[in-house]
Amino acid sequence: METFNVKLQVNGESLELDVKPSETLLETLRDRLELTGAKEGCGLGACGSCTVLLDGLPTRSCIVLTAELEGSEVITIEGLSDGTRLHPLQESFMEKGAVQCGFCTPGMILTAKGLVERNAQPTREEIIRSISSNMCRCTGYKKIVEAVEAASAPGAGEA
Amino acid sequence: MMPANFQYRNPKDVQEAIQFYREYQGEAVYLSGGTDLVPRVKLGLEKPKALIDLKRIAPLATIDDQGEWIRIGSLVRIFNLKQESLVADYFPALKASLEATSCESLQMRGTIGGNLLQNTRCLFYNQSEFWRKSKGFCLKMGGETCNAVQGAKACFASYCSDNATVLCTLSTQIELSGPEGERRVGLDELYSNKAQNPFVLQPGEILTAILIPKKKTLGGYEKVRVRGAIDYPLLGLAFSSVNGTGKLAVGAVGPRPYVQDVTQPWQDTLGETVEALVRQVKPVGNTVLDAGYRKRMIPVLAGRLVKKVMEGAK
Repeated sequence: METFNVKLQVNGESLELDVKPSETLLETLRDRLELTGAKEGCGLGACGSCTVLLDGLPTRSCIVLTAELEGSEVITIEGLSDGTRLHPLQESFMEKGAVQCGFCTPGMILTAKGLVERNAQPTREEIIRSISSNMCRCTGYKKIVEAVEAASAPGAGEA
Repeated sequence: MMPANFQYRNPKDVQEAIQFYREYQGEAVYLSGGTDLVPRVKLGLEKPKALIDLKRIAPLATIDDQGEWIRIGSLVRIFNLKQESLVADYFPALKASLEATSCESLQMRGTIGGNLLQNTRCLFYNQSEFWRKSKGFCLKMGGETCNAVQGAKACFASYCSDNATVLCTLSTQIELSGPEGERRVGLDELYSNKAQNPFVLQPGEILTAILIPKKKTLGGYEKVRVRGAIDYPLLGLAFSSVNGTGKLAVGAVGPRPYVQDVTQPWQDTLGETVEALVRQVKPVGNTVLDAGYRKRMIPVLAGRLVKKVMEGAK
């Protein structure tokens, strides 16, 4: 089977991988790099639980081929904290009780991170529009919206 | 689970992409954002020998104001296109349909060209291979009969591009490049009217750009879906108007968008226009919503949409 050589960065670390053309970014992250924060839900790009940041954009890693990613930069939930200090969005999700079963949480947080990167103080409506990219089967959306709102409120520190 | 037996190619330009297509003797598929294609490959709806990734071809991702036309490269991302001031200023209906497409994350990955060339969809077709095999392959999979309408010998899958419905109201043209050269045709010529094989494309042809006449229009888009995000349309209505006349289009209820001229949007004759549209569509029970409901919503949404747009014009 022909493999494809790809150089990319994952959570700041430069990697060179030989991948099968069919290997998805989610498989690379979970099976090869043991970064199991991104979850496989539907596997078809619908649910958003596999969301990571790809060159800063929230992206469904289950429908992206690693072969497509030459020169790209990937951030997963594991790469969001600063050492043992959690990202303000992670702190806010805990504080506001925005985590129920937790399966959608990494994707929710990275989608929210993508939003606050391009819009530091989003309105509630903008938060809802952004995180509607991701599904929460526990239907805990209200707390999730509140957590993103609190983390990006004026004076909330780095968001 | 992804089948393991395809190859990946990332050409630097359109000619190289076509060359790769030739090498695989037609058994290759062009890849842009992949939000439609990769799930199709995963479900075994598509079994290519190679995916030819067009994303490294930079000229395909540009937007040019050519004076009489706005030329939109086929690989422009939906999310980027909806933020273009040209789109908001000239084509408000397109702005609305881009906004209504799926969800933000998928808009950032998906391209306008890929959105136009998404395959037709059906509740009995967009399923795993195991599911489809258990039921017996339908017409669209090369089987003998339709699984959505018992005994039917025609395919009723629906073309679910929100943006195509709008572009059909804007006299859009498309640019294609293939082994036989380049051509430019009206968007309506892209459609075969057959849900099994919805597009009229020569083997190896690449959709390189979408061209819209640069005229200020009024317009809007109404979409029926169960959830406010992610979902494909179960019905889409688009209206665009220039100087008091316009075009009304309906999508997601057949293998292509259907369009009617609206000569007097203020008059009672709108009813006849809408009836003419309704006569063309054949929604069947192949979505999560009842076919009769989707059909009954056409005049409701059309009336609401045209009224809203024309009142904004006052």
